[in-house]
Amino acid sequence: MDPLSESGMRTPHNGAVVQRRSKTRSYRQSYRSCLGTASRLGVTPALTARRLNASRRAAKPQNLADKVNPEHLALLVKAEWQLSYVTPLYQFRHTQLRSYSRQLAAFIVAEKQQGLAVEVSELHNSYRVSLSVVQGLTESEDDAETVLIQIHSKPMFARQDEPQRSVWSGWLTCVHGSPEYLRSLPKDFTCLPLFGSRGPEYLSRVVKSWFQKTFDCCFGSLEINHTSLQWFAALWTDCHSQSHIQHLRMLWTIPAAPPLQITYTVDPQDAWDLWNSVRKEATAAVTEDAASIDLEEVTGFLQALKSHFYRHFRLDLSAGTLQQVSTALGSAKSSGRIKMSNSRHVIATLTLLTECALLRMPI
Amino acid sequence: MYDTSKLLLQRLVRRIPTQMLKATLDKWGRLTVEQRQAMDFTQSKWALTQKLLSVCEENKLTLTHLAELEMIHAMENPNQGMWYTFQLLEPENDAQSVELTQFKQQFKCHLSELLRQMSVKIKKHTDEAVWIRIALGSSFSKPNHLKPTYVVHYLQTPYVFVRNLTSKLKPLLSQALTLATRHQGVKEANLSGRNLTSIRDLLMRQYQQVFPTKYHSPPEEEDQPVLNQHIEKEQGGVAAHRRHMAHQAFGDGMLPQLQSAVYMLDTKFRDPNNRTMTEREETFKCVVKFSSINLLESLRSCASSGIASAPVTPLLSSIPLKGRNYFVVTDNTPGPSSQGHQTQN
Repeated sequence: MDPLSESGMRTPHNGAVVQRRSKTRSYRQSYRSCLGTASRLGVTPALTARRLNASRRAAKPQNLADKVNPEHLALLVKAEWQLSYVTPLYQFRHTQLRSYSRQLAAFIVAEKQQGLAVEVSELHNSYRVSLSVVQGLTESEDDAETVLIQIHSKPMFARQDEPQRSVWSGWLTCVHGSPEYLRSLPKDFTCLPLFGSRGPEYLSRVVKSWFQKTFDCCFGSLEINHTSLQWFAALWTDCHSQSHIQHLRMLWTIPAAPPLQITYTVDPQDAWDLWNSVRKEATAAVTEDAASIDLEEVTGFLQALKSHFYRHFRLDLSAGTLQQVSTALGSAKSSGRIKMSNSRHVIATLTLLTECALLRMPI
Repeated sequence: MYDTSKLLLQRLVRRIPTQMLKATLDKWGRLTVEQRQAMDFTQSKWALTQKLLSVCEENKLTLTHLAELEMIHAMENPNQGMWYTFQLLEPENDAQSVELTQFKQQFKCHLSELLRQMSVKIKKHTDEAVWIRIALGSSFSKPNHLKPTYVVHYLQTPYVFVRNLTSKLKPLLSQALTLATRHQGVKEANLSGRNLTSIRDLLMRQYQQVFPTKYHSPPEEEDQPVLNQHIEKEQGGVAAHRRHMAHQAFGDGMLPQLQSAVYMLDTKFRDPNNRTMTEREETFKCVVKFSSINLLESLRSCASSGIASAPVTPLLSSIPLKGRNYFVVTDNTPGPSSQGHQTQN
């Protein structure tokens, strides 16, 4: 199973067919086999599939204002993004962004004329696309730089001097991706596994299909699973001492008839005290790496919250599903929507999401 | 003035579904026979509005007449908007004998003493409820008919239901109500919901209740075939017991529709595994909100399926028992406290 050889022959843009007849040694390892048990029989990824990292560093708030363009940062924190995972992009060059912008704009217009991307209420006749690099979000050398995509347009019957408004934005990023995996990728592949988009659905579809055609990649929806939501609850609560979280709100749905929704909002100081008490007990023995948080602590924290609930209502929240976690620092929904409200914690959130995306990718 | 009438009429026509419009207009009775016959209800709402505007001009109808029309529609469709419940306290000796004319007169009299610019309409509904529509103005402006407050009271009961109450009207309304109904005070009853009929049924226990009995009633006919004899033998008794406890806590059959229940928890965190938190002096504060399209049904099904352990905790069973859906829970009171809270306006 070597999809690379096929993809080498399919990318039309450079003309030259790159032979990817892989030598026995240089199989690109699947992400799972990088991390999981070294299984030479590992053709069934499911067996070697690893969970998310069982421990991660505590999020340090970073003042991104001096590292990242403030306009870009403002764009990132103001909206709620719909997430997808992306497989590595073939022959994506950060230097050719202007050419890509023009190609994408032309592609959108072509799709509209074919009638594939039509939205009845919005009649736009010209699109201006801009792809730009957002520097400063990534720290490690293995991460590719984040790319921001914006589509501006003017409604058909607008006046001449009316400026174009942004109708769609998206970004591709990789923050603290697993170095082993990133280094195992062949040279021509750029890994930007996390894609966030905001705007009309038809434009998202067009952008994705352009990327798929141009860089031979695959997009898929990224749902935030239960464990990741628990991580968000813990990580955001952990930040309370640096940035006031205002509340810790969790939304559970219970499968009753009709379905029951439970919103459990905890006072921030109490959540912080509870979190500390869970951490102190779990890491009583190991004090050297106080900055790292274990999955056990996270599940212990959630379990404590659930048991407090049970003591009053005798209703076990584990019977339901956790759908949403939100604090003043952001909100994460299990449907794959994320909002990062505080610029100082953007990197921590993106790190967790990059990991989810890398795990979710099929290759 | 005239613009407000137009606006009110437009809003009414937009809000009332076309199938009900004819009946409502007939009930209103302000159109002549020819005008009624000339109305073509297959036209668009915009065309109907224009026609009605010209009819109203012809008949020289004013804002008060339109307010009547709105009231008729509101009485036919009580399950809209958000209703809040109040309870009258400490009835005087003659509270039981207050009847409609006396109430109307007293209420209008007291309220007009307190307020200059207002418009009050009182009507009695077929189910013995007294509906009051209040449009409030200020010393500088005429009554605002676009945002009226509706009050529903069942005479001889201590319950009052209010929709769209403003903070300005609240103290005046409380005073007028207590005086008119011969009580000493009024307090918030901590029950709110979208369905007026449901919250009324809940408070007045007009739903099918199950009373605790020593001997359970004989099991009903099973309409589903028993899937597995072994499972049935082991689990059947337990499941039936759970179901019985659930029905005992919440009731049988169709339950009144509540949309949400809010608990403000302010209790100490007690967990044998977590010594730090248990020893903590301060309480653990959190807010829990249950919501569903029919909350009592959901809770009952949680209890019978075992998601909520049986017997149902008093916090949840207080919803139908005490007829409230807002609770402040502290450690001092054995169950949910009955302290009031700020009104949501």
